[in-house]
Formats: sequence, C-alpha cells, structure tokens
Amino acid sequence: MEFQTTILSIIIITITMALLLFYINKKLREYNPLEKPKGIVLLVIMFGQMIDKMVKEKTNERVAKYLTPYIMSVVAYIFLSNIAGLFSLETPTSNYSVTLVLGALTCILIEVYSFKERGTKGYIKSWFEPLAPFVLVNILSKISTLLSLSLRLFGNILSGGILMSVIYQMLGSISKMIPLIGNLNVVGIIIAPVLHFYFDLFSGIMQAYIFITLTISFIGKELPNQ
Amino acid sequence: MERALLGFAAALCVCGGCVTGIMEGKVAVQAVESIGKNPDAADKIQSMAIIGAAISETCAIYCLLVAFLIIFILGA
Repeated sequence: MEFQTTILSIIIITITMALLLFYINKKLREYNPLEKPKGIVLLVIMFGQMIDKMVKEKTNERVAKYLTPYIMSVVAYIFLSNIAGLFSLETPTSNYSVTLVLGALTCILIEVYSFKERGTKGYIKSWFEPLAPFVLVNILSKISTLLSLSLRLFGNILSGGILMSVIYQMLGSISKMIPLIGNLNVVGIIIAPVLHFYFDLFSGIMQAYIFITLTISFIGKELPNQ
Repeated sequence: MERALLGFAAALCVCGGCVTGIMEGKVAVQAVESIGKNPDAADKIQSMAIIGAAISETCAIYCLLVAFLIIFILGA
C-alpha cells in the first residue's frame, strides 16, 4: 500500500484543531457570563449562535441540542482543511476518503433520526414506500445522497487545487522570460494571491456552508413538521 | 495520437458544465427576483437558492470528475 501525502496534512489539521479546541475550552471556562465577551470568546459565541439558529430553523429544539455540536465541529474541520492550501499543505478534502467519511456520517445520522422518529416498524416500512417493488429505488436514492454529498466537496476542492498548480506552472514559465530574476517565479507572487483568495478562501467557506446546509435539511426532512 | 484523443474526450466531458452554468444563473436570478418581491422571506429564499444551486451543480462536478479520471487515470 502506498503512502498518501494527504495523510500528513490530515494529522497536522487534526492536531491543530484539537489544540484550538482545548484553548477555546479553557477560555470559555474562565469567562464570566456577566462581563462583555471579547476576542476569541465573542467569535465562538457568535459562531455557535449562528449554527444554532440554522439548525433550529429546519429541525426542532430536541434534535438541535444534539445536532448543533456535531454541525459545529464538522464546519470547523471542513473550513480548516479547505484553507490548508494557504499554508502550503495539501488539502485533506482533496482526498476522497476524507469526504466519503464525512458524507457517510451524514447518511448514518439521517438513518438514525429516521429510525428514532418512526420506530422499528415505521422505519422498515419506509424502505418499501410507496409500494414494495420501490425498495430498489429507495436504496439507490440513499446511495446517491452519499455519492453526491461526498463528490461535491471532493470535486470542488480538488479542482481548485489542480487549477492552482496549473496556474503556478504557467506563471512560472512566463516569469522565466524575465532575465536575471526569472527563476524566482516573480509573476506568480503578484498574480497568485488573488486566485488563492477565490479558490481557497471563498470556495472553502462556501463548500463548508453548503455541506452543513444540505446535512441539516436532509435530517430535517426526516422529522415530522412542526 | 492516443493522448490527443484523450484530451479531446476530457474537453468534451467538461462541456456538460455549460448548461449547469446557465441554469445556476437562473436560480440566482429567480432568488433575487423573489427577494425583491418579498423581502421578509429573504432568509428562507437564500437557503433554498443555495440548496438548489448546490444540487444542480452536482451534474457539473460529475462532468469534471469524469474529465479528471480520463486525464489522470487513462492518460497516465
């Protein structure tokens, strides 16, 4: 089995996130609720409120209590891994295994909530709806949810990474035409940051947002209407 | 010769993205129009529009993935 280079960046991202969470936890424990929040505490509180509002809009209070922490950790992980390209790491989400696991977690959650809401009998019945032969269609629709969720994230981030490397090569060959300092890729230093802003920051934030919006609304679909 | 054909096939694959681009623009246009008509429902319309755009984008991403597979796996 060959060693995949993204594994190194996955480990780095995981350690960074764990350290960050420990730090935030320590800050939040020291925080006095009567004072005005500031710095990282304010940021975390605003982020938590935003996700909580999003989850409560689509689901109910009972589900939101358990779903919000999961969504928060997923969005933090996807965001950190999408912007890893800025720190010259290989983005973990451009490895299909990572996005497949994230998509599979969402699919398992959908099934768990569907099971909880309908009970054993109703859950088994939901596979054979509206008629018994439709079981094949139902199985296919569950697989396609998994595939579309994971491939969307994977395709977007991978295409961004490949485009960036192609652009770097092109800019490198252009700057070779400049005498004396040509080998330093001078043109790349000027033009690449703008593209990094789009491909890494913007599409990274956008994809994390889309992933959690889809997760929340797929789970909300399984719950009864309030 | 073979490599040229593979490149041509990959380029043809990505053509599927054209229609997706037009249609995703349509999603945005409709969302803006309906927010203009009914500004109170902006939050709901925004999330619906993003979900719609994301789901219709899947088609384009499949095209792109097939193109990548052709270039990097068949062409390698």
